[in-house]
Amino acid sequence: MLEARLEQASILKKVVDAIKDLVQDCNFDCNDSGIALQAMDNSHVALVSMMLKAEGFSPYRCDRNIALGVNLTSLTKVLRAAQGEDMLTIKAEDAPDVLNLVFESSENDRISEYDLKLMDIDQEHLGIPETEYAATITMPAAEFRRICTDLAAMSESVGIEASKDGVKFSCNGDIGNGSVTLRSHTNIDKPDLNVDIELTEPVSLTFSLKYLVNFCKAAALSNQVKICLSSEVPLLVEYNLSGSSYLRFYLAPKIGDEE
Amino acid sequence: MARTRSTKPSTAASATDSDSTKSKSTIALVSHAGEAPKVFILPSTATSGARIVTLPNPRSSQPSRYLACPETGIYEFTKIATPKSVPRSWLIEAAPASNGAETGNQGANPSAQVTMGSELFVATAIDPLFLVLPALADAQPSKGSDEVKRLFLSSDDHLDKLPQESSHLSEIMRWDTTRRLVESRMGAICDTVEAGDESMFRLNEKKLVDAIFQKAKRMSESGLPPSMEEKFVKKVLQAPMMHRVVRTGESQLSSNSDVGSGSSTPQTDLATSQSTISTTETSDTAVSQASTAATSVAEEPAEENFASALQASPEVVEQQRLKVAFEFICSSYVAPVLADKLQKSFSGAGGLKDFSLLNDYIASLEKLRSETMAVRAQDYGRKRNQDELDDEARMEKKRKLEEEKKKKASESRGVRDLKKVNTSGMKKLSHFFQKK
Repeated sequence: MLEARLEQASILKKVVDAIKDLVQDCNFDCNDSGIALQAMDNSHVALVSMMLKAEGFSPYRCDRNIALGVNLTSLTKVLRAAQGEDMLTIKAEDAPDVLNLVFESSENDRISEYDLKLMDIDQEHLGIPETEYAATITMPAAEFRRICTDLAAMSESVGIEASKDGVKFSCNGDIGNGSVTLRSHTNIDKPDLNVDIELTEPVSLTFSLKYLVNFCKAAALSNQVKICLSSEVPLLVEYNLSGSSYLRFYLAPKIGDEE
Repeated sequence: MARTRSTKPSTAASATDSDSTKSKSTIALVSHAGEAPKVFILPSTATSGARIVTLPNPRSSQPSRYLACPETGIYEFTKIATPKSVPRSWLIEAAPASNGAETGNQGANPSAQVTMGSELFVATAIDPLFLVLPALADAQPSKGSDEVKRLFLSSDDHLDKLPQESSHLSEIMRWDTTRRLVESRMGAICDTVEAGDESMFRLNEKKLVDAIFQKAKRMSESGLPPSMEEKFVKKVLQAPMMHRVVRTGESQLSSNSDVGSGSSTPQTDLATSQSTISTTETSDTAVSQASTAATSVAEEPAEENFASALQASPEVVEQQRLKVAFEFICSSYVAPVLADKLQKSFSGAGGLKDFSLLNDYIASLEKLRSETMAVRAQDYGRKRNQDELDDEARMEKKRKLEEEKKKKASESRGVRDLKKVNTSGMKKLSHFFQKK
């Protein structure tokens, strides 16, 4: 039996919105520590890993490990029914056929209830080791989204180059080339606008912009985004949710294919 | 009688009595820490000197529990348990006689107890020859030939080859009767040589097969347990039902067509000679006669078919039982490598028992089964004509198209767009991260 209540239905809505363009169907793995999700895109070059800790819910109850196989497009349709400040309660039996979602509005005592049919999904889980990254960049999530969409207009891929001078996003397309450089920057009034670059050694990698633009759909979840790079390993883009819950994206770098 | 009289007059005594029963119930419900007590059924022949010992299991060589009695031999334990989905427990009460003795004790010991474990362990005699068999059979075939070279060794030398880890074998071998029993059983399957005052043993596979054969024979003659009989004898020897049903259907079909032709003539009579009532009457009776005849025809072949189905003769059933019994013994008490060898020499050509009857029967059964399958396939084929096949293909196509559409609908635009992304030079993530 799973029963979990989110004070803000919008959190789940935003999470699902952020990953529904990357994966089609995936399992929400529920256990007593929270709700986790790991899924790869069709080409298996990108991976999304989500963890909603039990502390983020009140109350949270999960007696047995349950895998909820969900089509994300269908879940989006149901979550669209949530209004601004609705509370969301999700419920499922131990061997569920459906996922029950209840939206409650505190303003006008409106309760809407939906059952979403579940499916059996065979998914392989990858073990992701803790990695010491050569460069870790923390920046406003909106800024990262801006850079990605701007550069995506010019080219398919972006080179990310982190050195002691700063971090440079550069692209080279048919119509020309462009780049954006950021330096460490502290804004005392608005700490959300800080740019922080931690560097142990310089890195330079190339990534597909289409995927990065997709990742940026999670920008609504968090003011800041953390980008971790090391040569020859996948890029990590992490959005922190409330508490220690997170939404992480991994993307394989483009290697040796420099047109 | 005496007890009730002694307790009843004194109120104090009865008070303590009721107290004690109360305390009994509370004590009995106290949960036990650690492992739950186990319930055993021990053979009444076992003496008080019997001990539960650890000996290597003859099949797996893993240490297992046995009951060894210095007088009557060695017993194995069979665990009888309910499935996990049906939780049970034991309520164990001391015998009433001891209960009476305890009332004087102010109920110091609870006389009833509830145990969590629902298992029941039944001790049944095991032939010690199985226990020593791994030691006797333990020999590597010499290179270049299949012949296994075995040496004459004393029983102790043989037993030293058994896994010593947490084994009480050497202790129980110190009991004289047990040693004599083990050695006599070894004698039954070994060639023996007297060397001084000690006998030396060497495994004789022929004797071993013979010994197990005798056991299997005894087991099959006294009847296999019903579940084994059902699963391994009846089911294996059963002829397919489909065969009979198909034949019944065919005969019914033909009899029905008989009815048609029989009734069609009176009907035409009816149409041509409407003038006389008598003729129609006769034709009516003809129809009814025809129909009754038809029903009787339809019934008869059905019965006949049941009788004519391939039936296993008692000899065949007996042989199958024997085979199952032998296989059961081999698979429960003999190490897998040796068991294969034994089964070959048992049921193979030139074996102890002639299984040709059984083999013939199974071969014909196989044939019958494949025929039934063929008939069934033909039956399907007959029912569908070309038009239907075309329809089916069209429906299939339509269904596929619809499925694709549905699949597309469950896919978001982002996912569709990502399919077009150039991923050249990007390795799959499973290259970086290990699969769990």
